Amino acid sequence: MEETKYDFDVIRWFTIMAVVYLVVGTLVGVYIASELAWPFLNFDIPYITFGRLRPVHTNAVIFAFGGCALFATSLYSAQRTGSTSLWSNKLAWFVFWGWNAIIVAAVITLPLGLNQSKEYAELEWPIDLAIAVVWLAWGLNLIMTIAKRKTSHIYVSNWFFMGMFVMITYLHVVNSLAIPVGLFKSYSLFSGVQDAMIQWWWGHNAVGFYLTAGFLGIMYYFVPKQANRPVFSYRLSVLHFWALMFGYVWLGAHHLQYTALPDWTGSLGAAVSLAMIIPSWGGAINGMMTLSGAWDKLRTDYILRFLIMSLAFYAMSTFEGPVMSSKTVNALSHYTDWTVGHVHSGALGWVGMVAAGALYHLVEKLWNTRMYSAKLVNAHFWTATIGTVIYITAMWVSGIMQGLMWRDYDEFGTLTYTFAESVAAMHPYYAMRAIGGALYWLGAIIMLYNVIMTVRQAATQRSTAAAAAA
Amino acid sequence: MNKLREYFHTDWSAMTLHDWIGLIITVGAFLAMVWIYARVFNPKNKERYESQRHIPFEEENTDSENRQ
Repeated sequence: MEETKYDFDVIRWFTIMAVVYLVVGTLVGVYIASELAWPFLNFDIPYITFGRLRPVHTNAVIFAFGGCALFATSLYSAQRTGSTSLWSNKLAWFVFWGWNAIIVAAVITLPLGLNQSKEYAELEWPIDLAIAVVWLAWGLNLIMTIAKRKTSHIYVSNWFFMGMFVMITYLHVVNSLAIPVGLFKSYSLFSGVQDAMIQWWWGHNAVGFYLTAGFLGIMYYFVPKQANRPVFSYRLSVLHFWALMFGYVWLGAHHLQYTALPDWTGSLGAAVSLAMIIPSWGGAINGMMTLSGAWDKLRTDYILRFLIMSLAFYAMSTFEGPVMSSKTVNALSHYTDWTVGHVHSGALGWVGMVAAGALYHLVEKLWNTRMYSAKLVNAHFWTATIGTVIYITAMWVSGIMQGLMWRDYDEFGTLTYTFAESVAAMHPYYAMRAIGGALYWLGAIIMLYNVIMTVRQAATQRSTAAAAAA
Repeated sequence: MNKLREYFHTDWSAMTLHDWIGLIITVGAFLAMVWIYARVFNPKNKERYESQRHIPFEEENTDSENRQ
């Protein structure tokens, strides 16, 4: 059999940049969390106020960190599972430089206040066009790499990556339809309640297809590889894939309960959200049960800990989300910090941890060495886990308290608390959230240091081996 | 029974093109899911699906790479 030659250089760079962006994105998150607890931190400088930096944080963690992690893992596992090189190495480099240029453009424009005011789609129209071009280039390369595979079957992780590609392409294009009135200003093609519906159709599906389907692609390849055991049930993974693809697109309306949107759309969104517990938990159990009979690996393999803990958070947040989407719970939770806590249990616990586990695995494979310090991987694991738990606990308490304060009436039918009183009551929890976030950021710093030292260690090992051979 | 019938009453003549498209896609997606469940859980297909679990482990001895 002819030996396969892989294209790994571009994967290495995506891997390194993903870790760098994890540090940068979480740093901005900690700063804006601190601004909410101690508002003097905006120093009356408009460019660093919460409103300007919040989209910098979300874009940095979702698109810079998440994007680089997805590009690295998808282009790596497509090559590996198909025993083939990339369809086009040059196109992969175009995606690398294009994506990073978009991130630089975001870091410049968002603090300047150039913003479409669409959540998770804040970037102005020229950057939206660039995103579409680079995204299509990645998708084309992925699909063509899979097409020239040497295996007969397309492994399930690739299905998830391709599903994400198809769905995010049309979500991004439709949600970004706008009339430009200048180089840095445009108005959405939609208005009123239709605009809100399109916004949350995109918003929730960015979570569903980018942060869930894409990272499930990571899970289905990297959990079996790190555990050195095949996935528990391939049939369950097929069901997981199709149920996710059919189900997720309906959920967006649950973000708009008790608004001008027709009542039935919110009910439909909530009903499908509740139904989605079944495939989500099926997938989480499938990932965890891959360790069935080999749970002892968790004692010694710290990278595997990340992957399995991420599945616990995935199961938790995919139960919490549907519960929050039901109208009864939503009446309390909507517009409160509970939503922020829910998002972060998914983002920090699921996305951040599964990506960290996969990136550690990649670093060892791509540089053909072991991590510089297994203890530092463990330190990262615990700071990330404890940081996440502190963050989401603070937001649960804060959010439920907010909801209860806002809807409390006295015997005359007057609101018991003013809005300002509810803000003052949040202070301890906002401080606690900043501490939880800072711990998570500390974990990211540890990871970056460990990765840099691992790369240096690999270079030293290579030169020592070359000298010995000579 | 009457209440149930009232609840599910539909004025078919008032259905617009968009209503029909939505209805067909919804029912189509539901039927497709039923078909997928039946296919995946059919014992005859078990071996065919589960044999794909090992794909990530069939690549280990081909480890060299293109250098720039």
